[in-house]
Amino acid sequence: MMDGPGRMEQKHTSPAARRTRPALTLPALVLLLASGSAVAEKLVMPPGMGGVPDIGAIPCSVFNEMIRIAPLGTRHSLITWSAGYLKAVSGKPLQEVVNAADRTGPPWTYDRLAGDLVAYCAANPTAITGDAVSTVAKTLGASGPVPAVTATP
Amino acid sequence: MSTTVATPEPAKSRLWKPPIVGLVTFVLMFVGVGLAHTLMVLIEHNLGRETTLAVSPLLGFTGIILLWYGVKSKNETFQTWVGFFGGLIVWMCWVEFFYMWYGRMNWGMLPRMDGAGGLEVSGTYPEYMIMGSTVGTLLMMLCFYTFDKDTRCNMFLWFQDKLGLREGLGPTTKTAKDRNYAIITFMETVFVTWFCYAWNLLTFDPALTGKGNLFVAVNLASVFVAVVWAGFCLTRLIQFKRTATALRYAIPVGNIAWVNVEILEKLDLMSHAVFIDPWSYKLEASVLFGAFLTLIALLVVAPKKPSEVGARRVSAAE
Repeated sequence: MMDGPGRMEQKHTSPAARRTRPALTLPALVLLLASGSAVAEKLVMPPGMGGVPDIGAIPCSVFNEMIRIAPLGTRHSLITWSAGYLKAVSGKPLQEVVNAADRTGPPWTYDRLAGDLVAYCAANPTAITGDAVSTVAKTLGASGPVPAVTATP
Repeated sequence: MSTTVATPEPAKSRLWKPPIVGLVTFVLMFVGVGLAHTLMVLIEHNLGRETTLAVSPLLGFTGIILLWYGVKSKNETFQTWVGFFGGLIVWMCWVEFFYMWYGRMNWGMLPRMDGAGGLEVSGTYPEYMIMGSTVGTLLMMLCFYTFDKDTRCNMFLWFQDKLGLREGLGPTTKTAKDRNYAIITFMETVFVTWFCYAWNLLTFDPALTGKGNLFVAVNLASVFVAVVWAGFCLTRLIQFKRTATALRYAIPVGNIAWVNVEILEKLDLMSHAVFIDPWSYKLEASVLFGAFLTLIALLVVAPKKPSEVGARRVSAAE
């Protein structure tokens, strides 16, 4: 027996509804075609600005080159991305994640966070920056399911 | 009573006459711009970036000390050399390295990205983004030379002529012997370098010219202007007989010609990697550096007119 939605709809559609179908179908079709034909815009930075639209989804090799030229801004950019990631996986802002983190080892300062991210990418140039963030998140003990991060196509 | 120090006129040289003097000084200044890039890279490499940026304000004072020696000298040729190298050092340390520290280490700016997917670091590093914003300051300061009746720069004299300023400004109150060529060359080096940087940075700014056809059109127009301008000045430069005057005139000619190098590199039509990555081009970079030093040595030993070495300076009234 086929219980597909179309079939169920057909079974329970009243004659009045059937009469109005052509009037509803046309705009729906137009909307469907319109949404199907729209091509997603590639995100690009405003022309005068430096950096990339999604610092968490670039190859570590690119990140390493950016760090070489502009260490402070690049690492801060990824820390900002990390704060959003940690909030998503743990529900806590960065400061609270750091407060609740494992206290063994050096203290979790801004420099250690940045240093760990940079060190990961330096050691794994073929990985993406999101991998560095998820690795540091695990070290921090951020709870919750860790969403997969993929590179910008 | 005033006296004139008598010195014998130098023997007429078969070599040091037009167009050799102008050509040698042009090549020297053109290659010099590239080697200034190399010098910066070498300083940063040998001292380390953090040390370089920390000591650059102090290093800049060596340019001022040089200038101090130059200003005290009576020798025009010495004044010119010292003014040139002092200007280079000060520009490098107090502008380039200092902007580098501000942009990269203090303000946390990010480099502009380029290439496929915007994932290649372009040559527009943070310090150059800051420098691009100084165009207004540059133009404001150039007003001084535009409205200064004592300027001898041909470009500003041309502006004064076209703007009908000559009568209002009145005749210059300075003669050649009143001028100190150390500070003149120093300021010339700084302003010419600044101007050419600003020119390149404005035409490279994607916020102004985009990355498509307009970018290519503006930059090719820039190449046209730079070639014609440098070429015109070169035709005048090759008529020079005095090495000191030719050196000063060659500073803008070499720099304007260099504008083309930066643009053609940006358009992927050539590369000046030999200057910014000398380790990969040890032999080529060494040859260029050797040629540069040879040209300097030749110009230093070239016969000079008495006025170039201060021999005709009028001493104080006795």
